[in-house]
Amino acid sequence: MARHLDSATRARRLLALLPHLHKGDSIPLAELAHAVGCSVEEVAADLTTLTMCGIPPFTPFEMVDLDIDGDVVSVYMDPPGLERPLKLTGAEARALNAALEVAGYASDSPLREKLRTVSSGAVSPEDLEHTVRAGAAPGGAAETYAKLASAIEEREMLRVAYYTGSTGRISERILHPWALVQRMGIWYLVAWCETAGQERVFRLDRMRAIEHTGVFFEPPAEVATAVTPDAGTLQTARIRFRDGALLPDARHWPGVTLQTAPDGVSVADVPFQSLGWIARRVVAYLGLAEVDSPSEVREAVRDLASSLLRQIK
Amino acid sequence: MSSDAERLVNLALYLASSPRAVTAEECRAAGLGYADGQSDVAFIRMFERDKDALRAAGLVIEVTSDGSTEAYCLDADATYARPIDLSADELSAMRAVAAAMADDPAFPFHSDLALALGKLVSDVHQGPMATTQADDDTSAGQGLNARALAEAVQMRKTVTFNYTNAAGNERRRTVDPYGVFFREGVWYVAGRDCEADAIRTYAVSRIADLDVNPRSPRTPDFERPDGFDVREHERLPFQFGATAVDVRIRFEPDIAWRAESLARGRGSIDRLSDGSIVWTVAAANITRLASWIVDEGPGLHAVEPEGLVAALSAGLRSVIEAHG
Repeated sequence: MARHLDSATRARRLLALLPHLHKGDSIPLAELAHAVGCSVEEVAADLTTLTMCGIPPFTPFEMVDLDIDGDVVSVYMDPPGLERPLKLTGAEARALNAALEVAGYASDSPLREKLRTVSSGAVSPEDLEHTVRAGAAPGGAAETYAKLASAIEEREMLRVAYYTGSTGRISERILHPWALVQRMGIWYLVAWCETAGQERVFRLDRMRAIEHTGVFFEPPAEVATAVTPDAGTLQTARIRFRDGALLPDARHWPGVTLQTAPDGVSVADVPFQSLGWIARRVVAYLGLAEVDSPSEVREAVRDLASSLLRQIK
Repeated sequence: MSSDAERLVNLALYLASSPRAVTAEECRAAGLGYADGQSDVAFIRMFERDKDALRAAGLVIEVTSDGSTEAYCLDADATYARPIDLSADELSAMRAVAAAMADDPAFPFHSDLALALGKLVSDVHQGPMATTQADDDTSAGQGLNARALAEAVQMRKTVTFNYTNAAGNERRRTVDPYGVFFREGVWYVAGRDCEADAIRTYAVSRIADLDVNPRSPRTPDFERPDGFDVREHERLPFQFGATAVDVRIRFEPDIAWRAESLARGRGSIDRLSDGSIVWTVAAANITRLASWIVDEGPGLHAVEPEGLVAALSAGLRSVIEAHG
């Protein structure tokens, strides 16, 4: 269903469509809808509105001339003006900068520098930097992101040195990069891992090095983009949390279920894939969490805590 | 009769195609969609609103005057974007991030992002597969409020909202918003709490019934303090507390490369001759920091102060005892 927009917002979208309409083009409505961020139904209504727009004396030669047939629009004449893209407005520059910051592009990255040259200047870059912060942008993150995005598009296999948090080891893997997925500001790559012989999920901030291979792959027709494992297929650990413990939530402990007993003790059932992961999470509670079951998790917790204590001594 | 949107597009096209500056009366008489019989006062008010709407859409309208009458034309150099040279990697990255953010209900700037990309990238619809896994109610409801707050930051408008703190207590707050930031799936607003007369940070997910001061929308309600930088309010998990002390954490050489990412721009990083890194940073909650060191390990070690090492040792002993 079409959203109700105020006339200024709708006019902004109508104007944004004009540079996409070139004489002789036949353009799928879905493509135009994507280009201006609305539904196919909305873009069809916008294009219909545009056919009623033009400049004096409003003869057919001064109007926006197009025709919608099914899911394609045919453009018969270039628009009578505004046929080139406008500079980014302050709001658009803010949106683009925020999105790129989420992907790890720092304010001084070459891409964001380039984008400043097409911004209207309605908002100063310094002002934006000091008032809107959408990501931490650690060094190298943008380069990793761009390499992966490009490899997904090109369907090129990559050689990746990957750090596994639960073991602290770096392993070299050949990956078929399929999709980038963002969850809570953290980026993941969904890929086929040739080394493991199965589909895997990798955090971008744990990729130590990425090399192109020059070898290409055919991606599957459909890619599952869930980056948290299906809790129903995993083992579960029962963990008891003492008073004062920060209770686990589903954002940080995917699939967790929590119950609080009448005596105030909270008990959580936590799905886990790797012993190393669950042990480290429990040890990090520094005594405010205790594993009830299974025994292998209890042992892993005790072993990890002992090992860390020995390192201190 | 044409719609308001049609009239705005007609006015934009008229200004863009006119070889000379045109007056308001010429625009009125040009058949752009201004109603016949409209009073002069109503027309001028509508014309001013239309120019503001077109300026917000990115048109730079130049005003000239012969002393008695103003005329308007498009400043083409200031309005149109020059093509920029984007590498294949940059294009892929922009398409990927746009696709992922479009799926993120917590991202506050969806429609602006789509319009921005549409201006820069001709084939936005093609690109790497990228999305957002939004599986959490906390982040899903924040987008609209975060956008309104970002707008209030830019326009320097005072806001009021109901805020429910971690203890579940709700109170109406009046805040001069200075900046917004995003951390672990949650947007925050930092600004001056007018009652406390101090800078506070609020999680947008805990905000309800947000109102932006509707009076004089184009006039700022406050001045942001000189030198305000929202990054200084984006604290690490162990930096919440009344008193902070400097702590030192060592990263083993094998994982020294993670230091910059984990530090998130806080504190200072020193590289030692053996390849390890020592990170000096302020911490207000030593127990939380000890927990963080374990959580982010292996390869991280508490160095100073002694209280941090002691807290970590005591905690680990407690874990061993509980699981013995």
